[in-house]
Amino acid sequence: MENQMENRLLHIFRNNPFGRETLLQSLYFCNKVGASPVIYIPKTTKFLMYFDNDVVQVDLDKSYLISPETAIQRATELVEQGGISARFLDPKHFTASTLPDIHTNFDYMCCPRSISDMSSKIGLGYIGPRVRRIVRSARFPVLITSPVYKEWKSISVFFGGSANAIKALRLGFHIARASGIQLDVFTQTEKFSKKDYQQMIKDRNLEEEMDLYVKQWHFFENRVFEENLYDVPHDALVILGAFGHGVIRNFVFGSKMEKIQSTISNNLLIAGPNYTTIR
Amino acid sequence: MRILTSWRYPGNWPIFRFDDRLLLILMAAIVGNFSGLASVALNRSLVMMSEWLHHFRHYWWVFVLPAVGAALSSLFLEKVVNEGAGHGVPEVIYSVSRYGGLLRFRSSFSRLISSCLTIGTGGSAGPEAPVVISGAAIGSNIAKYFSLNDRQRVTLVGCGAAGAISSIFNAPIAGMVFAIEVIVGEWKSVNIVPIAIASVAGTEISRLLQGNQIPFSHHLFNIDLLNIFACLGLAVLSAAASILLTRMLRSMHTVSHKVSAPVWIRAAMGGCAVGVIGLFLPVVLGEGYHTVKILIEGEYGQVLAVLALASFAKIAATALTLGWGGSGGIFAPCLVIGSLVGVTYHHLLALFWPSASWVNEGYYALLGMAGLISGMLQAPLTGIFLIIEITGGWEVILPLIIVSAVTTTLCHYFEPASYYLKDLVEHGHLLRPGTDARVLSDLNVPELIEKDCIIVNQNMLLRDFIAIIKKSHRNFFPVEDDKTGHFLGIIHLDDIRPYLFDPVMYDAVILGQIMNTQVEVVHPDDDLLDVARKMDMKGLFSMPVVVNNRFLGLISKATILDQYRKELMVQTSH
Repeated sequence: MENQMENRLLHIFRNNPFGRETLLQSLYFCNKVGASPVIYIPKTTKFLMYFDNDVVQVDLDKSYLISPETAIQRATELVEQGGISARFLDPKHFTASTLPDIHTNFDYMCCPRSISDMSSKIGLGYIGPRVRRIVRSARFPVLITSPVYKEWKSISVFFGGSANAIKALRLGFHIARASGIQLDVFTQTEKFSKKDYQQMIKDRNLEEEMDLYVKQWHFFENRVFEENLYDVPHDALVILGAFGHGVIRNFVFGSKMEKIQSTISNNLLIAGPNYTTIR
Repeated sequence: MRILTSWRYPGNWPIFRFDDRLLLILMAAIVGNFSGLASVALNRSLVMMSEWLHHFRHYWWVFVLPAVGAALSSLFLEKVVNEGAGHGVPEVIYSVSRYGGLLRFRSSFSRLISSCLTIGTGGSAGPEAPVVISGAAIGSNIAKYFSLNDRQRVTLVGCGAAGAISSIFNAPIAGMVFAIEVIVGEWKSVNIVPIAIASVAGTEISRLLQGNQIPFSHHLFNIDLLNIFACLGLAVLSAAASILLTRMLRSMHTVSHKVSAPVWIRAAMGGCAVGVIGLFLPVVLGEGYHTVKILIEGEYGQVLAVLALASFAKIAATALTLGWGGSGGIFAPCLVIGSLVGVTYHHLLALFWPSASWVNEGYYALLGMAGLISGMLQAPLTGIFLIIEITGGWEVILPLIIVSAVTTTLCHYFEPASYYLKDLVEHGHLLRPGTDARVLSDLNVPELIEKDCIIVNQNMLLRDFIAIIKKSHRNFFPVEDDKTGHFLGIIHLDDIRPYLFDPVMYDAVILGQIMNTQVEVVHPDDDLLDVARKMDMKGLFSMPVVVNNRFLGLISKATILDQYRKELMVQTSH
């Protein structure tokens, strides 16, 4: 008999109504995919995350430190309501006395769209620079939640054929396996035909998993990508790859991730360029 | 586009595939130049600020200048760049120890600006530590940009530190030795060559922009045996001054944290106190290179009591500046205090043995500087080479070695870790390559879990269990609750030995009766060092890994040892 390692999701708790919505999203996600939430209640407005090739200083806005005496109790209540036992992260290492290191040995991390700026800035079309750095550097995918708690009933994966899109597809398979929900795959046909995309799947030996986990593969023929996004179910968890291309290419040709995150308000699960398949 | 992509990964260029040392040498030259430029920039800024503020020195309110500087410096670090105060060298060593030299980009400029504000307005601190963290952060971020690995990044961090020290003192050997002795902590050719190149690059940049001058004028000393023996007494005095400075810095830090005021107010309070001391003893203000120059020249011309008071005042001013939140380092204050202690000692010798032929007081000032640097940093080679290079005085090398060695030894007796390393050692964060703690810190519990365990439940009969044992090669069997799946305890083969040869018991005993429920468990987030310590203390060979009452696997000493050897080979093979 062999046990699987539990998958763990890092959640930075904000002790206000907005933070409650975000924690509820995390708990829903954990319940769906069988992961355990690890909650960090910040005691300082900044902390460091050391990744393989980057160190990210997260400067939290003051709302994360509201009423620390009630934070643990509120978080515990929410977690236990979700039928999960609460586990809190207590930093062991400090780069400076007021600068804790939060380890990055997690399987998922949950972030609002912006973690360092005032809540008023949070909205579609804006992902904060720290969240971007975390997505770029992390081995784990980042769950970027919609502003208000929203249960998801289906899973949509965006697949454009790049190496990062393959990672996102594999992540989709993992989530489908864990949650028991089949996937909808969306592809915007640009320079390749349907057959080319199917060949890509074949070349990567993903045919079997496509048959097993994918409900439908949608091809967008309309040239305007943002218009096509209306077809994505409003209650879907959207999985996509990000930052697979360089800054210059994104600047010249635009980024699909930016278009998606600025157009739809679904929960997003983003796999960055350093994402490695979940154990 | 492909050209741009390949530029990001120089390790893939054919020339560097042949030998990645060439890559490091190229990168070291780049890092050395940039860190040299950072040093020159801080140096020039300090000169400009000092010249600008010189016009205000005769006003009665001049004592508030260090307070304003320290407050601005603290505000800049806390509010603008969001970094804590302090000189930053421990942060560099911590990053090298634990995270392969990863440093934030903002560190490459933040301390330059904050220390300029502190020192330029008269705070008692040195510009060397800020340029060290700046150079190190430049090295780290260049390594990050080019996606170099941890080992290469650590070397480039060392290169940045070496280039910065070499540039600010025009002393390439001291820069190189400091980087290896204090920052990297590993004397290997794979580090030494790139760091040497960076030192040369940093020095050349400094010479190009500021001219090739030794910071302090060179003097010839006629040193006889008596003066060599006399330096033993100076070593004792230097060690005492080093210990006093270390303890005062720490106690000021503790006291300041008890004051419930914003950090910038605290910094201002410290700065104000320094300003008041400076009204009576201007020698305590700023980085103090001019004072050192006068002391080496033998032109300070003060009586013994004033010299002793100035030594103590400089120690207090440095502790007030840095302990209360100002920004800067301890290198330059060490030089000033060391030279003051040296000249004080010379006056003491002349007082007690007036007929003896003592060398010029400048000689003792040099030795005192080496003593303080060696005592504070507990890095004797850095002290020796720095003093030789910044004074050009190779003829004093023998007494320099004696003073540095004795001071380091004495300080080590009272303060087992240097000022830079004290906090790191206390918190177990000093992890030099190839050491036990470092090897264990690079391993983690999840990668060592053995999952091929057979899980049994508490209601299983001994007979059924014996059938399972026949198929297993393990001695430990975790017991789980058959309803909840919760971990209940563990059974070792020894636990069933009393019943093994008594078949009557096979159907009478269930595992819940014989399992061991008082089991020490491990969590996947636990530090392996703590796990290994626990195993040693309690004489355990295996421990179950449990999370949320669920058994994940076993962690055993044998597996730890196996992975330990592999990791040690990786860390010591280059």
